[in-house]
Amino acid sequence: MKFIVPIFFFIAFANITVAQPCTLKLYGHVVDIDTKQNLISANISIKELNKQITTDDKGDFVFDRLCAGDYTIIISHVNCDDVEKKITLTNNFHLDVLMPHSRKLLNEVVVDAQKGIQNTGFKKELSGRALEETKGLSLAEALSRINGVTMLQTGSTIAKPVIHGLHGNRILTINNGVRQEGQQWGNEHAPEIDPFIASKLVVIKGVDELRYGSDAIGGVILVEPKALRDKPGYAAEVNTAYFTNNRQYVVSGVFENQLKKQPAFRYRLQGTYKKGANATTPNYRLNNTGSEEKNFSITAGWKKEKFNTELFYSQFATKVGIFIGSHIGNLTDLQIAIAAPKPDDVFLGQTTSKIQRPYQDVVHHLLKSKTTFYKAENKFSVLLAGQFNHRREFDLVRSRSNKSPQLDLSIYTLSQDITWEHPRKNNFSGVVGVAFMQQNNSYSGRYFIPNYFSYSFGSYAIEKWSKQKWELQAGLRYDNKTINTTRLKFNGDTLNYDFHFSTFASSFNALYKAGNNWKLNTNISLASRAPHVNELLSDGIHHGTATYEKGDINLQPEQAINVNAGINFQNTHQTFNFDINIYSNNIRNFIYQQPRPDMPVLTIAGAFPLIEYKQTNAVLSGVDVAASYKITPRFEWNPKLSVLYAWNKSTNDWLIWMPANRVSNELVYNFTDKKTFANSYLSVDVTNVMMQKRMPSEANGKQDYKLPPAGYTLVSLNASSTVNLLKTPVTFSISVRNALNTVYRDYLNNMRYFTDEMGRNINVRLKVPL
Amino acid sequence: MKRQITKIALALFISSALFTACKKDNPEEPNDNEVITTMTLTFVPVGGGATVTATFDDPDGPGGAAPTQQPISLAASKTYNVTVVLLDKTKSPVANITTEVATESDAHRFYYAPSGTNITVGNLNNDGNGLPLGITSTWTTGAAASGTLKVVLRHYEGTPPNKALGDPIDSPKSDTDIEVDFTTTVI
Repeated sequence: MKFIVPIFFFIAFANITVAQPCTLKLYGHVVDIDTKQNLISANISIKELNKQITTDDKGDFVFDRLCAGDYTIIISHVNCDDVEKKITLTNNFHLDVLMPHSRKLLNEVVVDAQKGIQNTGFKKELSGRALEETKGLSLAEALSRINGVTMLQTGSTIAKPVIHGLHGNRILTINNGVRQEGQQWGNEHAPEIDPFIASKLVVIKGVDELRYGSDAIGGVILVEPKALRDKPGYAAEVNTAYFTNNRQYVVSGVFENQLKKQPAFRYRLQGTYKKGANATTPNYRLNNTGSEEKNFSITAGWKKEKFNTELFYSQFATKVGIFIGSHIGNLTDLQIAIAAPKPDDVFLGQTTSKIQRPYQDVVHHLLKSKTTFYKAENKFSVLLAGQFNHRREFDLVRSRSNKSPQLDLSIYTLSQDITWEHPRKNNFSGVVGVAFMQQNNSYSGRYFIPNYFSYSFGSYAIEKWSKQKWELQAGLRYDNKTINTTRLKFNGDTLNYDFHFSTFASSFNALYKAGNNWKLNTNISLASRAPHVNELLSDGIHHGTATYEKGDINLQPEQAINVNAGINFQNTHQTFNFDINIYSNNIRNFIYQQPRPDMPVLTIAGAFPLIEYKQTNAVLSGVDVAASYKITPRFEWNPKLSVLYAWNKSTNDWLIWMPANRVSNELVYNFTDKKTFANSYLSVDVTNVMMQKRMPSEANGKQDYKLPPAGYTLVSLNASSTVNLLKTPVTFSISVRNALNTVYRDYLNNMRYFTDEMGRNINVRLKVPL
Repeated sequence: MKRQITKIALALFISSALFTACKKDNPEEPNDNEVITTMTLTFVPVGGGATVTATFDDPDGPGGAAPTQQPISLAASKTYNVTVVLLDKTKSPVANITTEVATESDAHRFYYAPSGTNITVGNLNNDGNGLPLGITSTWTTGAAASGTLKVVLRHYEGTPPNKALGDPIDSPKSDTDIEVDFTTTVI
């Protein structure tokens, strides 16, 4: 470990001393292979350099000021399948590309948008190098690298994504095409998805949201695996990582094969194992913060020219410890913990990986079948999926002999989706779909949410029109949902309710490409979210916050109008790129929790403040800015800024628990590729999260017992290189998070009442393709 | 092609029909084993006399109907042997929680905090390590007075619990399982 850093410095010096020519030009022409037409607005990207460009009116493109080296060029167009070409650039290079006329009729391709260069506004992607840097982290930690996305955490082991201040049921997470259904209403319930299955993570807002639901008020997260192998033979890859802070090791392997004798059949096997011990803050180690995760997935596909069917099964299983010093008896206990500068020593200092109470044990199974076939130029798709999620939470209990969980929720979901994409005609492409879902939830142990059976039906239509500089998209969706709940109380009383919700959503998006440099995008979306059973029927003490939560059966669906405008600029030499996204999400009937200081709930453990689910009108507005500047061809500066204002219009006050302003600056140095070392880079990131000053005043009832923590600055380092070892390109990477071992707390971490955040964490990663 | 579509449509229909036809499961009896609904203090006067009791009762657990609470009424200048009994009335038959607390004695501790009355509480019984537990105690009353008496049960969560003799009632090592303020009169 100690000698890795000097080795990197040696490589750095060795490269600086050798002069490399960086004035080469890569230019060419893109044509549709069938119609022989020049392809306008085809996207050309150079994977290794994070550069992208579009073809002009004549189908031509030019990259200049390139350095010599090996590059992977990816060409994509809305009408065609992707084409990938590998070239070695030693002189000016002309490339003619013939794009195969595609069966892919809708622009489902998200261009490789790596760090610093993003699609305008509403499609933000994490892939390539940026995704590689997150290997071994959880899904929410990976997504938080996208500007505008933050996390809601419970300690260092549980995190949920927050998009522009919204989380939980307001975000849809689509796991390999299937809407993930677990207990996502809980603030301490992380998404049960293994990020290792993904080759890209995408956050979308706008028209494409309508494919998945009418309730994506906060946006949609797509976890997308690579397509199954399309060449005969096999490929495999192993990724391992080790994290020093909590002695966590991760190993993930994938094997895929296309049978030589039967090229229609291909399959992929994938698995991940993760185990970590107790985590440490800069000054003390937290007992019972270990975790263990075992995941695997199998994909099998049969692909013919006009018919493609795929079967996918995945299992995600996690056991996660929760810091033992965070248990709270009543409000006075919480206030004492808040006043203490650190947890009592009895809860600190153990280095073990053993997980004891309190802990969570969650298993999620997904079985999916997707069949696509073509009739004339029409594409039909049928998706059938089943999910089973079993969540058990083992709290601290009075008796050591008690082996049962205190929360035990099982949820089964079946979903059926049928879509029809009509052929592209007159620059129009579009899809129409219907979606059905049936869900059954049952609980045992303490009551949190009732048993329920719910079924829903939805249908949508999306049309896209593109011609030269314009791309217009519009969509409509309608959903109807029925929820039948039952609850059996200890005294034999039953509380049964039936709910029916109709929700309607629509979206309109306009993208204008002004010349080769500017892209302007505006979007207006209407989304509607039915209340979830926890908002309707909560009835009990929430120990983590020492409150008594009560739902309201009269809640109505939330209705949100989200207006978004984005500007993307890239200069002709592609040394400077800038992206700004301004949004305003106006949510009527926004469901939130309102304290009732006039009605405390008296229990044998004292009085608990009552907190009720209520509706208000809220507006969440903000701006995300990101830029990328190549100061020299090898040296890049990437600043980012994210600001959110979340306002409760009815109480005329700020909304609680919203992410604070943050700004980050990253400097990256890309080394020249040499014979044995390729894709080498070194980067440093300085992120400043400001103190949240916008929170509700106590005039409307005390909502929080601790002020938001002070702002903080974190320094992270990343370095990586791909080494040719025995003809295998092995990638070594090292990252240091919180390099300066800063002591800090984050407002959106439920543990901030009790402890500081994790201290320095060095992780070493290895990626070996086989 | 037609056969494929028919097959798929049939599969779809069957799967959704199967599920929608599914009757709602009969919900399981809820089982929250951590509830304490009732605490009764029994005062047996030393040297004879009528036994006095005082009860805090929340028979449906937290929420729902409000709990009821009796005052403590003791005679002046007397000594009482006091015993606490904890119950969970949401279980059938009613569960005695006192035995669980006694079994996990090293992780529990009762505190008695009088205020405004001349009551001295002492002689708390000990746990397995010789440290105070307090399921039984001895109360000595002084002159007539009225005030409150707070009865608190603390639960030590650490492994090991690390209970120490000098731990205050609000020690950061433990948290509150019971906190009841009884109106107390010494007549």
